[in-house]
Amino acid sequence: MPEFIQNFELTAWWILAIKLIVVLTVVPVGALAGGYALHKVMAHLQHRLGPMYAGGFHGWAQTLADGIKFVLKEDIIPEKADKPVFKYAPAIIFIPILLLYLVIPVDRRLIVQDLDVGLFYLLAVSSIPAIGILMAGWSSANKYALIGALRSAAQLIAYELPIVLSAATVAMLAGTLSVVGIVEAQDWPFLFWPPGIGLIAFIIFFAGSVAEMNLPPFDMPVAESEIITGAFTEYSGMRFIFGYFFAETAHMIAFSGLAVTFFLGGYRPIVPWEPLTVIPGIVWFMLKLFVMVFLYLWVRPTFPRLREDQLQKFAWKGLIPGSLGLILVAGAWILYAPEWLWH
Amino acid sequence: MALDEREVQREMDAAAHKLRKEKKRTYGIGLLKGLAVTLRHLFKHNTVIEYPDVKQDLPSRTRGVIALKEENCTVCMLCARECPDWCIYIDSHKETLPPKRAGGRPRKRNVLDRFAIDYALCMYCGICVEVCPYDALFWSREFEYAEYDIRELTHEKEKLSDWMATVLPPPALEEGALLPGQPEPPAPAAPSGDGAAAVPAGDTGAAEMKPASAARPATQTASAAEVRPEQAADAPKAPSAVQEPAGSEHEQAPAPAATSATQVEEGQPPTKAETEAPAGSAAATEPEAQTRAVRESGDSPSATARGEATGEIETPAPAAVPTPTEDPDEVYETVLKDQLEAGSSPQVAEARAKVARVKAERGVRRAPTPIETEKKVPSAPVTGHFTEPVPGGAPAAEEPKPEQGPVEPTDEEKGPDG
Amino acid sequence: MTQIRTPEDVAREVAEGGLATQQMILNVGPQHPATHGVFRLLATIDGEILAEAEPVIGYMHRGYEKLVEARDYRQITNLVSRMDWLSGFNNELPLAMALETLMEIEVPPRAQWLRVVMLEMNRILNHLMFFASFGAELGAITPTFYAFREREDIQLAMESATGGRMHFGFMRPGGLKEDVPRGFIAQALKSVRQVIARLDQYEDLLVGNEIFKQRTVDVGVLSREQVMSYGVSGPIARGSGVSDDVRKDEPYLVYDRFDFNVPIGHSGDCFDRFWVLVHEVVESARIVEQAIEGLPAGPVLGKVPRVIQAPEGEVYVRAENPLGELGYYLASDGDRRPYRLKIRTPSFNNVSVLPEVLRGTFVADMIAILGSFFFVLGDIDR
Repeated sequence: MPEFIQNFELTAWWILAIKLIVVLTVVPVGALAGGYALHKVMAHLQHRLGPMYAGGFHGWAQTLADGIKFVLKEDIIPEKADKPVFKYAPAIIFIPILLLYLVIPVDRRLIVQDLDVGLFYLLAVSSIPAIGILMAGWSSANKYALIGALRSAAQLIAYELPIVLSAATVAMLAGTLSVVGIVEAQDWPFLFWPPGIGLIAFIIFFAGSVAEMNLPPFDMPVAESEIITGAFTEYSGMRFIFGYFFAETAHMIAFSGLAVTFFLGGYRPIVPWEPLTVIPGIVWFMLKLFVMVFLYLWVRPTFPRLREDQLQKFAWKGLIPGSLGLILVAGAWILYAPEWLWH
Repeated sequence: MALDEREVQREMDAAAHKLRKEKKRTYGIGLLKGLAVTLRHLFKHNTVIEYPDVKQDLPSRTRGVIALKEENCTVCMLCARECPDWCIYIDSHKETLPPKRAGGRPRKRNVLDRFAIDYALCMYCGICVEVCPYDALFWSREFEYAEYDIRELTHEKEKLSDWMATVLPPPALEEGALLPGQPEPPAPAAPSGDGAAAVPAGDTGAAEMKPASAARPATQTASAAEVRPEQAADAPKAPSAVQEPAGSEHEQAPAPAATSATQVEEGQPPTKAETEAPAGSAAATEPEAQTRAVRESGDSPSATARGEATGEIETPAPAAVPTPTEDPDEVYETVLKDQLEAGSSPQVAEARAKVARVKAERGVRRAPTPIETEKKVPSAPVTGHFTEPVPGGAPAAEEPKPEQGPVEPTDEEKGPDG
Repeated sequence: MTQIRTPEDVAREVAEGGLATQQMILNVGPQHPATHGVFRLLATIDGEILAEAEPVIGYMHRGYEKLVEARDYRQITNLVSRMDWLSGFNNELPLAMALETLMEIEVPPRAQWLRVVMLEMNRILNHLMFFASFGAELGAITPTFYAFREREDIQLAMESATGGRMHFGFMRPGGLKEDVPRGFIAQALKSVRQVIARLDQYEDLLVGNEIFKQRTVDVGVLSREQVMSYGVSGPIARGSGVSDDVRKDEPYLVYDRFDFNVPIGHSGDCFDRFWVLVHEVVESARIVEQAIEGLPAGPVLGKVPRVIQAPEGEVYVRAENPLGELGYYLASDGDRRPYRLKIRTPSFNNVSVLPEVLRGTFVADMIAILGSFFFVLGDIDR
């Protein structure tokens, strides 16, 4: 490995600047690619072809063209809207999603900043977008937007907890809050060991993240057939795409990265076989990331959406007690499982 | 089925039971099943037609756009009058022609100045095509004529005439259809239809099976007589047609055998024939010739039924039993390729290839017909694709009569026509 | 059903130290994805609960009943097929039957059987459409595409015979416009069998889905009494356990010759209505198969005078539209035009019961209920 990669975690200002530039380019490109994947995977699941024209080969430039179109569109702000709040809400939704990318380790050393409290940071930052949605819905002066915003807020409270608790389980088992440390602490078969605990934690995390990102089947805050994309009813042009489309895909990729990091062994090879370590960790990470993104995209068009009260019931009566119980089980495992079972 | 109270009750109970079963909790199995369904579709062959690149083969009856055969229009205004939303605009002036003979009276004639259809208003009901007594309007399956301005959707007669090139010959009818000239079969299941459509067979004119599109007027006549039999009966002059005298050797065959024979001859796989067997067997109770008859149906039925346009062409039906000599699909491919190379538009090439295939299916040996020898598609008026109407006259001399497999169509044509 | 708070309740709660809340009027429509057209629901909501819902119709009123008085019967046939645009052929039938009754035209058997084939294919088309839209309204967009794929095959078969994809214009008083083209029967059988073969997948996708059941079971319950008092008909009435199908009760055409069941629901909730709809597809497909099997040969048009001119008289003819009972009351004074044509459309009666069903439900349930009421705007407003 070249030396400068070895020392990638150095904190000289210019290295930090390079890192930030990389993140700032990777995230939009990733979001565009994610959007394209969304188009294509959903289309093929639905027995369609999806975009086929823009760019020539299977419409690869479709999301790019969409983005340009949205940027060029008129930015309409309703007369009765609370204008500053209305204007800045998309930023408040999008920036925290960018911040999520800072602590996702793409390789052992390819991380912007390996914080000691990386997990805390992630969970704290990931819940900020809901505030932006609330702002957007409230300031739009639209009834549908208001309903959507309130649903979003209610959903945030219900689903932040399961995510935190399932991540806490992972941190307990890893014995660290550092994201790289969590990856390093995992061993093959990542998700399935300790038996049951990892898998259940993963399922809870998955359900919680789907709800947090407002993806179907938990997309009540933006349900387009009920309340017409909820908080974003009044948005148009660039604010719409940053607040909604871009944020959605960027969020989805970020959470896929988190799930890979917490449960699927991050950048490490899928089987502990020596020759496989030749393949750089970033390849493994991307491979696992694709699987996770596909999971999100697969669930998305298949299921109908729940009702808001049913979702709350599911969270408070199912996921939260489940994840609490899981913490107990994980604690018991840490305390009482014999040493040879650990690896 | 009689409405039996107990039966209804039983049905209701069964249904309610089934409902209860389906409402039972299944704990996530249903979710997984749903995921399996979508995943399976991910790997299935996609059936999407990529429209601007690939075009769907629409049926020939498709009501896409109305095409005008300008030469046939006599400015009778029937279409404009019958249109439910009055979207047809016709202007004309009277022209005085010199007398035919010296000392005769000068003749007056309507000349069409403007024929426009406002497709922004048109509801595509097809009444105008149906009422036109002179076969001047046809349905084309063309549909790409969108405009940026609603006013430009009013298409004038030049554009309408251009569409004539895309009009397809009417399709053959399903087995069991009543053909003109046939006595009505005894209705097996239901009360008979009051002897409708018994067109006197002796009335046959315009009889020979010409290549489908070349013989358009004749087949139009046929379809008219067959679809509107009562009108044909009303108008004794209406020429009807004789069906293709095919399959007479099957006439005495037992029904299932005859059916399958028919199916196989149509080039369908035997399994297909089996699936169709019920339909075929019903049809097989009819005179076999009827089930075999390949007959064109028109999309402007009432047209010649009134006997105004077409005169009688006294032609005895040719008696030869044609046998298929070429593979229809192969013929289709060849002709399509030839036509495209010759510079025909894709639609026209396709239409001609289809004509060739139909001929091949009927066992009609293909002769170089005017359509196929003609290289370019003229805009309007279109010649060759449809022959001139034959008001009281013989068909155009170049029309071939390919049942007898002529190589020189002109001579053969003249022979039986007398 | 959730308790709706009256203003007095709110006043009492405020007196007890509660939050002063007020009801909000939410305009659902006229442009809203859940209303399938320009249909407006004036919903008074208390939080997410509907206190009152008032359907406002008429945005698409085209004056059919007056319009037909200035059109002759041939034109009317094409007009009424645009009333309920999802089932054009079913709309044309009762009018043709009314004229046949008045003019004493005998319809040849082949025409009758072919009519049944096309009516039931049209019913499948209609039901698949609502299958698709119901899924989409509940957030599952995938069934839409699958259903439209099947619809495409059936529509192509119908197009090969009639030339139209939605407005077939194939019905004539006394029979059909012309006979079907060669290959139609094979195509029809194939497309219909394909629907049956794939229906299991669809049931896995929606009917068996736990989330779908959560959204539909015991939601929007329509009682038998409400069905009776509002004149609800079709799959919605049958979903409530009312065995009411004109095809069985008063068999017209040749429906008495076919063996088919009328799926009947039990509890009258959204799930039962949807279940009835899905299973009617199966029954319709069975009828198509039987009708094709027994298709007699012969003409497809009876002895019809050149100008269709109903003699003086009055007649009411009803038939089973995919959405319910469709009736035409035709009064003729012997002209080429009807003197009066009263149209009884199923959707109109069906949506009139909506306020009763919607009261006290959630906003999200409102979408499910609207979706399970299977209405076509043109059929309501006409």
